[in-house]
Amino acid sequence: MGVPAPTPHTPRPHPTPVRLGVDIGGTFTDFVLIDEAGRVRLHKRPTTPADPAAAVLAGVDALGFPSDPAAQVIHGSTIATNALLERRGARTALITTAGFADVLEIGRQNRPDLYALVPQRPPPLVPRQWRFELPERVSAQGEVLLPLDPAAVQALLARLQAEGIESVAVCFLFSYLYPGHERLVKEILEVGGERSEDSDLPVSTTHLYISISTDLLPEYREFERTATTVVNAYVTPLVDRYLDRLEGGLSPRPLRVMQSNGGAITAATARRQAARTALSGPAGGVVGAFAVANQALRLAASATPASPPGPLSPRSAAAFLPEATAPDIITFDMGGTSTDVCLCPGQVPFTAEGEIAALGLPLRLPIIDIHTVGAGGGSLARLDVGGALTVGPESAGAEPGPACYGHGGQLPTVTDANLVLGRLHPAHFLGGQLPLDPAAARAALAPLAVRLAGAGPGETLPLDALERAAWGVLQVANAAMERAIRKISIERGYDPADFTLVAFGGAGPLHACELAERLTIPRVLVPRAPGVLSALGMLVADLVKDYSITVLRLAAGLTAVELAALFAPWEAQAQAEMAAELGPSGPAVQLQRSADLRYEGQSFEITVPLPAGPPDPAALLADFHARHARRYGHSHPGAPVEVVNLRVRAVGPTPRLDFEPLPAAQVEPVPLPRQDVWFETAAGLVSLPTRLYAREALRAGHSVTGPALLVQLDATTVIAPGWSGSIDTAGHLLLSRSAGTPQTQAVAQETT
Amino acid sequence: MMPDPIRLEIFKHLFASVADEMGVTLGRTGYSPNIKERLDYSCALFTGDGRLLAQAAHIPVHLGAMPASVRAALDHCALFAPGDLVILNDPFCGGTHLPDVTLVSPIFVDADAAASLPHPRLYPAAHTAASPHFFVASRAHHADIGGMSPGSMPLSSEIYQEGVIIPPIKLVEAGRRNEAVWELILRNVRTPVERQGDLAAQMAAHTIGARRVAEIVARYGLAETQRYAEALLAYTERMARALLATIPPGEYTFEDYVEAPPGPDGSPGADLPLRVAVTISPEGLLADFSGTAPAMDGNLNAVLAIVASAAAYVLRCLVATVAPAEVPMNAGAFAPLQVRVPPGSLLDARLPHAVAAGNVETSQRVVDVLLGALAQALPSAVPAASQGTMNNLTFGGRLPGSGQPFAYYETMGGGAGAGPHPPGAVAASGVHVHMSNTRNTPIEALEHLLPVRVERYALRRGSGGQGRCRGGDGLCRDLRFLVPVTATLLTERRRRAPWGLAGGKPGAAGRNRLLRGAGQAAAFQDLPGKCTLALQPGDVLSIETPGGGGWGEAQ
Repeated sequence: MGVPAPTPHTPRPHPTPVRLGVDIGGTFTDFVLIDEAGRVRLHKRPTTPADPAAAVLAGVDALGFPSDPAAQVIHGSTIATNALLERRGARTALITTAGFADVLEIGRQNRPDLYALVPQRPPPLVPRQWRFELPERVSAQGEVLLPLDPAAVQALLARLQAEGIESVAVCFLFSYLYPGHERLVKEILEVGGERSEDSDLPVSTTHLYISISTDLLPEYREFERTATTVVNAYVTPLVDRYLDRLEGGLSPRPLRVMQSNGGAITAATARRQAARTALSGPAGGVVGAFAVANQALRLAASATPASPPGPLSPRSAAAFLPEATAPDIITFDMGGTSTDVCLCPGQVPFTAEGEIAALGLPLRLPIIDIHTVGAGGGSLARLDVGGALTVGPESAGAEPGPACYGHGGQLPTVTDANLVLGRLHPAHFLGGQLPLDPAAARAALAPLAVRLAGAGPGETLPLDALERAAWGVLQVANAAMERAIRKISIERGYDPADFTLVAFGGAGPLHACELAERLTIPRVLVPRAPGVLSALGMLVADLVKDYSITVLRLAAGLTAVELAALFAPWEAQAQAEMAAELGPSGPAVQLQRSADLRYEGQSFEITVPLPAGPPDPAALLADFHARHARRYGHSHPGAPVEVVNLRVRAVGPTPRLDFEPLPAAQVEPVPLPRQDVWFETAAGLVSLPTRLYAREALRAGHSVTGPALLVQLDATTVIAPGWSGSIDTAGHLLLSRSAGTPQTQAVAQETT
Repeated sequence: MMPDPIRLEIFKHLFASVADEMGVTLGRTGYSPNIKERLDYSCALFTGDGRLLAQAAHIPVHLGAMPASVRAALDHCALFAPGDLVILNDPFCGGTHLPDVTLVSPIFVDADAAASLPHPRLYPAAHTAASPHFFVASRAHHADIGGMSPGSMPLSSEIYQEGVIIPPIKLVEAGRRNEAVWELILRNVRTPVERQGDLAAQMAAHTIGARRVAEIVARYGLAETQRYAEALLAYTERMARALLATIPPGEYTFEDYVEAPPGPDGSPGADLPLRVAVTISPEGLLADFSGTAPAMDGNLNAVLAIVASAAAYVLRCLVATVAPAEVPMNAGAFAPLQVRVPPGSLLDARLPHAVAAGNVETSQRVVDVLLGALAQALPSAVPAASQGTMNNLTFGGRLPGSGQPFAYYETMGGGAGAGPHPPGAVAASGVHVHMSNTRNTPIEALEHLLPVRVERYALRRGSGGQGRCRGGDGLCRDLRFLVPVTATLLTERRRRAPWGLAGGKPGAAGRNRLLRGAGQAAAFQDLPGKCTLALQPGDVLSIETPGGGGWGEAQ
């Protein structure tokens, strides 16, 4: 079901290589291909869970992707994620300092659910019998208190082999200050005690995968470092085998793999540090959204004054993305069971405080700072014992799915509510491949409607009781989304009114306008292909490698020269490793420095970027105070500041997203037959005759005014009354709240 | 008029977000390890007349106790003006034990602020009413509040030994800090800079909370916001009553003990009984603690707020068995609860009783006796006894080099009690149970900050009680001190092990030991559950925490 982008076009002066982004989802594997001319092709095919590579390779064939060393495939792999969630990882052992084998299981000694009568925690990824201790100890100052005896490691190797261990995680106390002991273990376990000539990448003669904490995360806090190292050891063998098969099938095309930090790495690196890919799924969506917003911004800015007046003129471009050189966006990725939101204030944000929520395990590698809520299109709505309408976290899942799918679902979901309100078209869902059953949706919502209307047995319901119930379900779902977006914006000192909401995922464009209104967000951007944005993100992901080291020093004593000297070894390593990843003909490597700072005595750090050039400690401190004040409402410029970690990010840039332009609109778009859609207006919840368009029929410059519905293969967009917008030359839809329909109108209505 | 189920759910999110956002701010800007690493604090929102409206799910022992703080602020500090902030820790007037310092702020909102989105004015200039619309409060356990030993959790016999007592007073009045009060407090603690940082973090949390409330009112109007505050209180009460309706009416009794420390003459300490009779009736749940031991000379005495906290916590846990969704913890949960404590008893501490351990230890036993009684009514829901202690350790001394004094406090997890609900549940090992949920301090943070070395941090294998469902295991933690310190242990379940249920075996009792001197062949010597020790460099303190009770006959 490839969807060719419209022609004609003019070839560009500097063709970029053909690239293919592939994202494996639970149901579909999505492909986005961009050729030398910027032509985009989309493809979707069912995921093959037993052998995910099969769907990928089949899609590559179906698209006729050239078998050429210049034709690059960038891949978002869910192998690591699924191995963790399904606990199907390798037989993994953990080696720790004597006395601390249980740190992994004790964690932070807290229980996840405060009110559980029997507190439970997920069992650790490495069971007790495979957690081994070695006598060794390093002090908090980095001195060796007890040297590690190589003979003890040799003895342990025999046990590991006897147990059939496949992968080993090593994490010693204070190893970030003295990595020597972990390295010694790695050396012995890899070559069975025989010293290797090639110290960089010794070939393992023992067939053990070894993950040492200082290679992955040389930062303080033993539980978080141990857990991250264990995750890596647990998933690396599976990912290694999977990527081996995929690379074989794709050869000679080069393969890159998406990481949780939104950058790609070569398959070779991913095969050794697979934990870096563990949260990569949603990362592609954010990178894609940011690239799309960047593109929309460029297009808006480049529209000339001579062009016809309309939403793309510079004046309205400025209104759309005011004074921006980089877009300020909030991404809103609403899928079937959950919704991911991310605030990008001119850049994609990172955190080192990620976690694999299902396992309660921290993953302290840099990841895109995404916040997830357990509500999506498939979330179930019900009235609880106390009389409140709740939506989620239970979901109808892929099977049976929402009632309107007709696969046997009986309980009402958010998708059913959207259908009852006319916001989904029964014949245009998934490009018409999945006809929806409105009667089933109405039947599922009916019991809820009866209870919400407070009607007794035999009493007649108000005519719009069903729609009121459906609207209630959407309002509750939107309240959960709103709370999530508040967490990432207002809680961190940002006003949503300064941002554009980028809506994608199967359900994002359905809810975007009303959610934006709740948050006083004035603009919404719906990408050209909102349902495959993750795969698009893979296409534009830079090659990225992150490095960090804990220094724990007072900033006051730190000179520019010292700071530069602390960064130097990591930058040299980053430069060398990156050059190897990129190959001789690759782009120039960019290095970005940042530092994690806190007031002395605090325990949470703020990451502050350093500009290129000689470091300026005074400017770094000033920036830290300003960021602290923004995030927490106060700062203490006189108080001592600690430098906790230094970070270096090496970036090998990827050509920017340059779609071939969409043809300009010559005539008004031809709407499909109108449809009645329910909206909340000043007059209450009413049914409005609503224009319906096929998104593919819209051309650059076409404008649409709400109420309207846009249907396309991978999503449906609801344009609420009071919203209007237009299609830009790349095919993205830019919506804004029209003048004269201030948000207060809705509020006034709500509060009466 | 019936509340709208849709708006009810929306306000559930809104009020919860106030407490959540306050908690995030306090945790991130706090200074002491106890706040920033261990998260030993709670934040809450109250109605204008002092009823709990929302509380971030932090530390259960603060739950029922925070309303008493707001009550005390109302009783002693009214009238209020915008910009006031009350501070208190007096256990006999709104507090529970001295290290828990509570701040209470009245919130006045502009009822006509709807036009000023998104940053409405907090305090309308022309405001004249003296009755606040809401309160926010925060309670944080401060690592030192003065008194006879570093960490302010001493083996005290009267409250004056436990630290500086702060009755409810306005620390900030109409936006101006009372410098005399501020200086007086800071002059009475060992680590004033840290206290200053932690109190500033609490105040920052209040600013965030007040701003959030103002935004909600600006959006929905004051009348609607207050209407849904009432609706949510009624909602939680309905949930609590729905649960109580599932419990067979009747009277259920149970008895358990706390362990008094050894006498000065070396005589072993007595086991002091806590008795409860729980009556389930259509009116609700009455917990009558008649027969409980009288108040003691030591510091295990508890004030009524702690008993109320424990009872509210137990009810809230049981509610989770009938309502899987998010139920706000608010005053509605207290409505069907009635608590009676005998005057002058261990649960009715009065001046000058010492109370340092009442909050952290006796509170756990109150939960145990309530659950023990309810297990007879709900045998398929209630689990066996959990570790039943927080294993409090405080120590202090002087830093090598600078000679600056330091004080440190930590608590340790143990085994959770096993139970039949939900089916297949495996009781957790090495976790905090019931009234606490603080985290541990990372070893790499602790050793970086203080002259101490952790030599072992492990699960205590086999300490969980046997049974069809096994109790969780306790922890072992060995600390070697590198400078002279004064250390205090306040631990329970050292003599009387956590009980099993339905044929399950008890968990192992906890154990405290000391190894004197470095590198000697000397054996560990056993320590009592409660003691203060002068330790020398090289001494090792070894703490083994209790395992949880087992449930059901082993097969």
